[in-house]
Amino acid sequence: MTDNERSRFSHREMLLTDDPREANAAKSGAALDDSILRRLYSYMLKCRTVEERIRILFRQSRFSGNYFSAVGQEATEVGTTVDLLPEDTIAPSHRNFVTHIMKGTPLKLMFANLFMRRTSPDQGRCAPAHLGSAPLNVITPASTVAAQFAIGVGVALAYQLQKRSNVVVALSGEGSTSLGSWHEAINFAGVRRLPIVAVVENNLWAESVPARLQSAVEGFSLKAQGYGIPGITVDGNDVIAVYRAAREAIARARGGNGPTLIECKTYRWYGHSEIDPAKYRSVEELEHWKARDPIVATERKMNERGIWSEAWKQEQLVRFNVEIDEAIEFAEKSPYPEPEDALDHVFSFSIRERELNRKMWSPQLLQKVG
Amino acid sequence: MPLMTYLDAINSALREEMARDERIFMIGEDVGLMGGVFKATKGLQEQFGIDRVIDSPLAEGAIVSSSIGAALAGMRPVAEIQFADFITPAMDAITEQAARLRYRSAGTQTCPITVRVCYGGGVGGGLYHSQTNTTWFIHTPGLIVVAPSSPYDAKGLLKAAIRDDNPILFFEHKKLYRSIKEEVPADDYIVPLLKAAIKRKGADITAISYGYTLQLTLQAAERMHVEQGVEVEVIDLRTLSPLDSETFLESVSRTNRVVVVYEDNRTLGIGAEISAIIVEEAFDCLDAPIVRVAPPDIPAIPAAPPLEAFYMPSVEKIVAALKRTLEY
Repeated sequence: MTDNERSRFSHREMLLTDDPREANAAKSGAALDDSILRRLYSYMLKCRTVEERIRILFRQSRFSGNYFSAVGQEATEVGTTVDLLPEDTIAPSHRNFVTHIMKGTPLKLMFANLFMRRTSPDQGRCAPAHLGSAPLNVITPASTVAAQFAIGVGVALAYQLQKRSNVVVALSGEGSTSLGSWHEAINFAGVRRLPIVAVVENNLWAESVPARLQSAVEGFSLKAQGYGIPGITVDGNDVIAVYRAAREAIARARGGNGPTLIECKTYRWYGHSEIDPAKYRSVEELEHWKARDPIVATERKMNERGIWSEAWKQEQLVRFNVEIDEAIEFAEKSPYPEPEDALDHVFSFSIRERELNRKMWSPQLLQKVG
Repeated sequence: MPLMTYLDAINSALREEMARDERIFMIGEDVGLMGGVFKATKGLQEQFGIDRVIDSPLAEGAIVSSSIGAALAGMRPVAEIQFADFITPAMDAITEQAARLRYRSAGTQTCPITVRVCYGGGVGGGLYHSQTNTTWFIHTPGLIVVAPSSPYDAKGLLKAAIRDDNPILFFEHKKLYRSIKEEVPADDYIVPLLKAAIKRKGADITAISYGYTLQLTLQAAERMHVEQGVEVEVIDLRTLSPLDSETFLESVSRTNRVVVVYEDNRTLGIGAEISAIIVEEAFDCLDAPIVRVAPPDIPAIPAAPPLEAFYMPSVEKIVAALKRTLEY
């Protein structure tokens, strides 16, 4: 096989193995309520609008660091989290920054995080998009990508021990399932039948490594079998399919019937991060997936029902953009933290005095210093 | 006051704290039905039930990660790592998650967990049941590292650790578990974290240690007193990080000579840090170079008795170091 053939073969393989739409159609059952569809659509539109603006801001060097967009994956992010209660927990990866929108974090706080300002909930500590929320129960994501899931399992353990009916929805990419900590965590969740939904966003690429080099099983939901829990693969670009699968899994968890693994087959339109041109992917593959834009697909469905119009969409975009403009202004006008603020929040007690004013014991040193 | 072993003291602290606070639960390998491989959690599952003393799968990463998450949701987990040598699968959870959660969230998300770790050599445990890896965690700001040397301190420090709002690595030396008995109050008391203790007063030289080697250091100090008429001041660090440098610096400013005794590898071990602090902050107080009594830099504690003895600090090695420092 020539390199050219190999590349065509692998490209074809990708297209063939990620087309579960027909399988989902049968499961869809009764039509979803109009109001739910409107909500799902509006959230997806908002997530896309926010992320596309963030990408522009990064290219304009308005904030530093990096950004990890999930543009193209909105159906997965919105469909799995839209039904959560305030007391439920989301365990996101850093690609799921927009889950903050789903939980209700004000945009101005999200942008303050991107701009690393003192007004951000993390006060400028985390890199962009690595933001959690204590009041809204979003676990602070780490770049060690299975960590949130493993911690999420602990939150689910607490819910079980406290006899609460809350649930945890954990999102991470297919790459995270290769880590030992992912397996330790899902195994424990299965053993104790913990109220957690493991959403594996299979966007086919973990940075530059294709899914077929990540795992020998074709469907990542098959992994659930090894842990004695239900696993399902859905078209991650079909927001109705994702929503239905998540609703069922969340209900199962809330009812004390244990975890579920949902594999959402989807695709990130851009690179792993804003500094990754993603040259490892073929143009055909990208075009194939862009043609299956979850937002356009939902517009089509809503149009068929007569509940979508271009004017309604534009009206929302105007509203989102005003909110984004205000958030950017808030963030850019916010001060950076003071340098010595780096010493805060290490422990429950302050270490400033210890670090900044070290006591000298030598008689001579005492004289010299002070 | 009843006489207790170190193990009794640990068990008593756990039992009292679990009775006091319903949010406390234990999680680890063999901690429930079996009561722990050293019996530190003996009888606790019987008393408090299977949901408060959880036999976990054989997965240290899950033990610690689950503890972090449960703490985030309002619980007060006490995790057990059966042997310090087994802690590596939990390194991401401990060093990158637990240690940083408060920092990353600017104080809004915290994980008050206590991770009990059984450590230490001198029992013929060989390469995977003997390690002292306290330094890994001392090198991770955000964690409090505690290592008691006596039954009294073990109970009081463990109770303080469980009540503390920071993630704590609590190192229990397996050789201490049954080797010494001490009068320990049967009721509630706390030994404060972050405070070293002067375990023996002396004017001639300061010896700094913690855990099992602290007991060896006390024996060496007694021998110096009897045989040489030398008075060794023995400082028990008790909390290894953040370090209470005030206590040993004050001591050094009086004795002017220092020996540091520890069981972790010599290079970048706690003796290196203590030496650096003393040199930086009390250089002119020194009348002699600081001496470290520490194991050689070899990958692990070998199993054969002569090899293990070569590795471990001993009373003889400490006495030799004290003499050398005094004779300088």
